[in-house]
Amino acid sequence: MDPFESIKATFFQECEELLTDLESGLLAMEGGDKDAETINAVFRAVHSIKGGAGAFGLEELIRFAHVFETALDQIRSGVIEPTDEVVKILLRANDVLADHVQAARSDGAVEQSRSQAMLDELQALIGGDGGAMDAEEDEEDFGFVPVQMVVEEVPEESADPGAAPAASDVGEGERAWRIEFQPNPEMYTKANEAGLVLRELARLGRIEVEIDGAEVPPLDQLMAEHAYLRWNIRLVTDKDVAAIREVFEFVEDDCILTIVEETPAAAPAAAFEDEPPAVVPPADEFDPAALLARLTGEVGGGEAAPEAAEAAPESAPEPAPAPTAEAAPQPAAPAAEPQEMGVAGLIALAQKATAEVEQAPAPAAPAAAPKAAASGGSSAPAPQATIRVDLDRVDRLINAVGELVIQQAMLSQRVIESGLARSSAVALGLEDLELLTREIQDSVMAIRAQPVKSVFQRMPRLVREAADATGKKVRLVMEGENTEVDKTVIERLSDPITHMLRNAIDHGLEGPAEREMEGKPPEGTVRLAALHRGGRIVIEVSDDGRGINRERVRKIAVSKGLIAEDAVLSDEETDNLIFLPGFSTAETISDLSGRGVGMDVVKRSVVALGGRISISSEPGKGSKFTMSLPLTLAVLDGMVVTSAEQTLVAPLSNIVESLTPKADEVHFLGGGQDAVIRIRDTFVPLIDVGRALGFRDTPLNAADSVAILVESEGGGKAALLVDAIQGQRQVVIKSLEANYQHVDGVAAATILGDGRVALILDVDALVSTSRRKAAAPREKRMAV
Amino acid sequence: MALVQAGYRVLQAIDGVEGLEILQSQGADVVITDINMPRLDGFGVIEGVRANPDHRATPILVLTTESDVAKKERARQAGATGWIVKPFNPVKLVDAVRRVAA
Repeated sequence: MDPFESIKATFFQECEELLTDLESGLLAMEGGDKDAETINAVFRAVHSIKGGAGAFGLEELIRFAHVFETALDQIRSGVIEPTDEVVKILLRANDVLADHVQAARSDGAVEQSRSQAMLDELQALIGGDGGAMDAEEDEEDFGFVPVQMVVEEVPEESADPGAAPAASDVGEGERAWRIEFQPNPEMYTKANEAGLVLRELARLGRIEVEIDGAEVPPLDQLMAEHAYLRWNIRLVTDKDVAAIREVFEFVEDDCILTIVEETPAAAPAAAFEDEPPAVVPPADEFDPAALLARLTGEVGGGEAAPEAAEAAPESAPEPAPAPTAEAAPQPAAPAAEPQEMGVAGLIALAQKATAEVEQAPAPAAPAAAPKAAASGGSSAPAPQATIRVDLDRVDRLINAVGELVIQQAMLSQRVIESGLARSSAVALGLEDLELLTREIQDSVMAIRAQPVKSVFQRMPRLVREAADATGKKVRLVMEGENTEVDKTVIERLSDPITHMLRNAIDHGLEGPAEREMEGKPPEGTVRLAALHRGGRIVIEVSDDGRGINRERVRKIAVSKGLIAEDAVLSDEETDNLIFLPGFSTAETISDLSGRGVGMDVVKRSVVALGGRISISSEPGKGSKFTMSLPLTLAVLDGMVVTSAEQTLVAPLSNIVESLTPKADEVHFLGGGQDAVIRIRDTFVPLIDVGRALGFRDTPLNAADSVAILVESEGGGKAALLVDAIQGQRQVVIKSLEANYQHVDGVAAATILGDGRVALILDVDALVSTSRRKAAAPREKRMAV
Repeated sequence: MALVQAGYRVLQAIDGVEGLEILQSQGADVVITDINMPRLDGFGVIEGVRANPDHRATPILVLTTESDVAKKERARQAGATGWIVKPFNPVKLVDAVRRVAA
């Protein structure tokens, strides 16, 4: 990748993080957090995006970010009050900004009308020409990201050049120190870096750094091996002078260092706060693109590495005051030499410094060190010990573990068959192996487990857009974002959740006026929650809207021929009618959730994942969709049964109970092919599994068999007739489609301990097939 | 071990010569070296690192004892970036690395 592209790629990576910060900051503000630091963080995020965009000449993005930033700046300075309304506008602006970033990344374009409408809205907020970009400001804001470093907790006033920090910022038990730090060239030859020293210093407390570049000569006279820069630092800390000295421990012999306590009387910072440091290249010549070109083009000319160390620190510890145009070119001068670091390294380093000072202190992983950064590597430090692994590799591991489980089970069975004593060394060793295998299996499954956050994160935006489209006021509450579930499941959760949320907003919630009439707050609440329950993940989407209009649901179901006119349905059954294919309660197809795709699609995708979905609703109070899914798609708890000498597995999640039928409980219908069984005063269809799957033709004598009462995902019940039950076992799912072909009534296959292949029953398919055959009106509505 | 937990990748060498070989073949962002080692001592390592154009700017941390001020000064003169005073604890080690690693 050419250097420019790689910097750009880094910039976009950075943008993603900034956008996430921005959104979470805004959401915090929406939640009532009006803390100056939160507002600052939000402002910084937009500012950094704009700064980076400036360096790459991304005009559209700059234009939008600029107005956005102006609005935020006015909030920051208290001109605009961050009311709920204002924050809502900002949240939408955040979405448009994300679109702009995306467009810039893919060389696409943003919908002009949308962007313009948002701009107008922001302009209205700012009031008049507040957002106009004049030439001067233009230049200032093109400042490259690195130089805009805002050191943690710098008092706000210092963003205004010339304003001296208030002396009162020294809190209880804290003292303010003045530190002058001028490295000798020798310091750099020992691979010490001023930037790192300053970073350390920033950990001690609140820090303001002023760079003095007065001694930097013009570029052509600049000596690579020399050190020209000095820093004036003001540090407010509760640590003692020894702690400050310790920061300079490695460099104190190679620099000129003075540390003095600030006396309250001395006008703080006046000495060097007012005038910007003298700078080499004239400000009006500054052009970011040209600068970049120059840097990338001329970097090769240098011979000395040590100055590379200087190049980065120089840009990093730039003081908080709003970056002046002059400040930006500074990194250019020293950066002319280093070959390896290059511009990317420079930027990445500076960004890293920014990130680290602003965020929690964390050691930079070596991977993020200059060399990695120079090759276009990541910009953010990765303090956590995590690695990225190709999903294929994990899947291969999972497959191998599946085989291991099978092999282990086979071995155990062989040992038992060979008649070895339970207490024999072999049997005991096998027992340990079994425990170990189970542990490996669990660990491997845990590798694939991911928090549902990745899906949840996309939802606030969706809700905002849905709320806008319907003109309703909606608050989204999310819970359990860190609930972990298999990656495959996560990926497929997105669509059902999206649909349920849209449905809740479109159909569930009332408009503000209607809500007020009913004595509810005008803003509706939609809750999205994830939790673990009984080895499954449960996703709940609930709203405090009007609830399901059962009368209407019933009418529609009748009119569409889904139920008989005289059908007697419980409330719950009525509610669940909305999952029937072809059912849509929206009288007119709305733009939002009524695109001909109803809840039946949601249901189908959930069922395809081995999950189930249900709804509970209370008129006037709201509805709740509950979706429950297996944590993994790779293993299944099953009941192993035999039928016609075949070994089969029924998923445990479907099984209600097992029983031995008595002859007088079984009744044959019609020609004697179809049977029902009476279980405690209710009749359910009796399905002879052996016949249903074509293993045999002759009917089974029910009295000699075992019946398993199963419930399909739709709630329909049936009794499966099998020869015998072998036991309960966890089995590894092997796709039948991938290895053979689809078979009706069979969901998948597995390999049992004795090495034989066993089919896993598709209970839903078996039940619905039997119900189609016995199509009575009442049965029909049950075949949900 | 402490470094690994802190998220660093650690390459180990049994002596100075191997250390320089590893640095040459695999590179490193920080070099940590003892003074007393077989084949090539810590000073030799520092000189070797600094003589390599690719690693003139690679930070070097030296393990020293409190008592031996002379050795520390010699290491510093040779180009050591910083030092860790023995007996060192994991916190000190990670701290020192953080202070010199970008």
